[in-house]
Amino acid sequence: MQEPPEGTVQERRGRVPGVPVSESVPGPGPGTLSRAGPPPGPERTALAQLRILLAPGEAQHRAGMPLGLPALEAHLPGGGLALGPPHEIAPAEPGDAAAALAFALALSAIRLAGVKGEALIAAGPDQPLPYGHGLASLGLDPGRVLLMEAGGDGEVYRALEAALHARCLAVLVGLVGGGLPLKAGRRLQLAAEGGEPPLVLILRPPGPGTPNGAATRWSIASAPGGLDRFGLLATPRWGARLDRCRNGRGGAWLLEWDSAAHRLRLPERLARDAAAAGGARP
Amino acid sequence: MTRLRRAGLAPEPGPHAVAAAGSGGLRLVALNGEARALGLRPGELLGRVRARVGVPLRIHPNDPEADGAALLRLCRWASRYTPAVAPFGPAEGRHGLYLDIQGAAHLLGGEAALIADLAERLDRADIPARIALADTPGAAFAVAGFGNTVSPQMLTKHGRPFSGAPQAKPESRTASGVPLGTVGVSGSPAPPHDPGMTGREPIPPLLILPGEAAARLAPLPVEALRLDPGIAAGLRRLGLKRIGDVEALPRSGLARRFGLPLLLRLDQAHGRRPEPLAPLAEADSFSAARGFLDPIGRQSDVVAAARELMGEIAPRLERAGFGATALRLTLHRVDGAVRSLEIGLSRPDRCPTRIASLVALRLERLGAALEAGFGFETVALAVTGAEIMPATQTELAGSGQGERIATLADILAQRIGRKLVRLAPQESHQPERAEGAVPWTVPALPYPDHLPVRPLVLFARAEPAADVFALAPDGPPHRFRWRRQEHRVARAEGPERIASEWWHRQGEPRDYYRIECEAGRRLWLYRDGPYRADRPAAWFVHGIFP
Repeated sequence: MQEPPEGTVQERRGRVPGVPVSESVPGPGPGTLSRAGPPPGPERTALAQLRILLAPGEAQHRAGMPLGLPALEAHLPGGGLALGPPHEIAPAEPGDAAAALAFALALSAIRLAGVKGEALIAAGPDQPLPYGHGLASLGLDPGRVLLMEAGGDGEVYRALEAALHARCLAVLVGLVGGGLPLKAGRRLQLAAEGGEPPLVLILRPPGPGTPNGAATRWSIASAPGGLDRFGLLATPRWGARLDRCRNGRGGAWLLEWDSAAHRLRLPERLARDAAAAGGARP
Repeated sequence: MTRLRRAGLAPEPGPHAVAAAGSGGLRLVALNGEARALGLRPGELLGRVRARVGVPLRIHPNDPEADGAALLRLCRWASRYTPAVAPFGPAEGRHGLYLDIQGAAHLLGGEAALIADLAERLDRADIPARIALADTPGAAFAVAGFGNTVSPQMLTKHGRPFSGAPQAKPESRTASGVPLGTVGVSGSPAPPHDPGMTGREPIPPLLILPGEAAARLAPLPVEALRLDPGIAAGLRRLGLKRIGDVEALPRSGLARRFGLPLLLRLDQAHGRRPEPLAPLAEADSFSAARGFLDPIGRQSDVVAAARELMGEIAPRLERAGFGATALRLTLHRVDGAVRSLEIGLSRPDRCPTRIASLVALRLERLGAALEAGFGFETVALAVTGAEIMPATQTELAGSGQGERIATLADILAQRIGRKLVRLAPQESHQPERAEGAVPWTVPALPYPDHLPVRPLVLFARAEPAADVFALAPDGPPHRFRWRRQEHRVARAEGPERIASEWWHRQGEPRDYYRIECEAGRRLWLYRDGPYRADRPAAWFVHGIFP
């Protein structure tokens, strides 16, 4: 398995205070793409001001949901996952569907830990539904999760749209059988405008995505879990790759989920090395 | 007694009686036929009765409220004959009802047919009753309760009808000069002349023709006039036992001696003074309909009509303190076809705008399947389910979270036809049985926190793992094939033995292992039953960990 680079730290030179970093070109490669140098100082400032003039709402609303992980937040505009526009999460391989679902639910847990309200999971047919006891193990209170089993992707998107309009939920998760279509993405984005929108996550099967209005696109792979000091499996880990990020940069990280503290973190080097070494076999 | 029998509270044969506290202790209030056959009568002291009667007597407590409710139900049923139904008041002993069949008799083929129908239905319902039809309620009551088949001696012996449904109906016969032609029908549950209730043959209804009332009333005891017990006793002391005796006396003397109530009752019975009935208020019907001169066919018109109809119903609901939980919108098409749409709500509501928006969503979902054709000429909205909806203060900051989720749930139900559910733990050790889906309105239950880590995705049916190779015969697998893929186990924890409850008795205890493949996937495997040397172990994948 390819070793993901650990926490690419973004340099913050020439950044205007209060203005989101808006270097273009979300790199498809995880942080390895060498970009053309940014324009010099004065031009950059002017550009940023122009951006504010053109899209004032966007600039103000970009205060996303913080993830408590500076290495990751540095790649996201506004220092976190944007609330409102959909985020697309896909497993890296067909076998990683549970990992992708877990990552989406971990993000939901972060959101639910910060605000009141409930999460809605709208699942299309044949999508893996979470198991309540497993949710509890993950640190997400199953009592705050509402489920809706839909008959198709179209129903999932309509349900999410209705929920966005209703403004009564903190997290919306859609489990769909195909990529987010452009039209559905645009409709979701429109429905999310104004007020305090929820976190919208779309979980799709692996494969190349279609162009859509998603704010970020993630692909999640399973990774050997973290061990506690007795050598037992303690924390789930995922290889998360940020494939595409509007107004941000891509990247890849090995993330560890702390179900007690409701936070993502980078695994400690020692623990990861021990896991990579193969561990004890029965 | 009839109420008890119908409620199944006095099922066994044998003497039953209802007793209530009276002067000097518990006194009998009502009896069934077999108790009557023992020579008991209402008003006797229970203690004395117990001493006198050797047979075990089942005593039931008196419950006037339940009696009243039963009478009210009977009144509601009787409104099938006429809208003017009045239960007996305190003067009549609250054991019957009046029907004003004026103008309603022809619907059933005349007075006699109506009375026969009433008697038959009451009999079929096992409600013993005596029915009389007379010009005035007073005469009807007198004849029904103290009808001419009964001698005065029997009356004193059996007393008043103790429960059941005497009924009186005034009916106007316009041809006659008499303003009110009344037919009095009175019934009593255990008719005085029929002491054995087992042989209940329908009591023939008594019809009194106009002008005949005075003659029929004359032989009846004075109690039939609905007098105070004191006045009746006074009349009896003077030897005036029959209505005819009283009627023959000069009125001025009677008024001086017994006061105006006696004359009033006398006049009411003879139709010389009107006696308005206080009919039961009609139950509020929470429905409304609207006809259109020009048929409507557009969705927005139907929605607007529904909103207006709900606007009509809402104040009625509000007065009654109800909110609708289910509605039916009926659309009558021009060509006679009728289309009904059921609309369910997750919590009681009576806001016309919200109801209209749900109707709109429902119509949207139907789309062309509604088949408006040439349009609808009548739109009717009826509340088919209602719940008590206490008035709440609306929040300044808009509606609350739960209310908004309820709105969303309704929208999803109408537009997509799917329900919101919530996961709830269930009492079971079996992982697949330890959880179920409940409606979202059910409050969330806490999950047990003593369980070891459980997978995030649990398969409804465990999937078999093939080609399992284990290093130790009773140990975890080392490699296996699942979903057409070879998995090599890098790490295994367990076993956790989970047995099904003893009352299920199916399957063996399972040994669950939490394993991690070399690819980093974490799975929940189990071996069905403990290791035995005489058969190969069967392995299954039951879930995936995050």
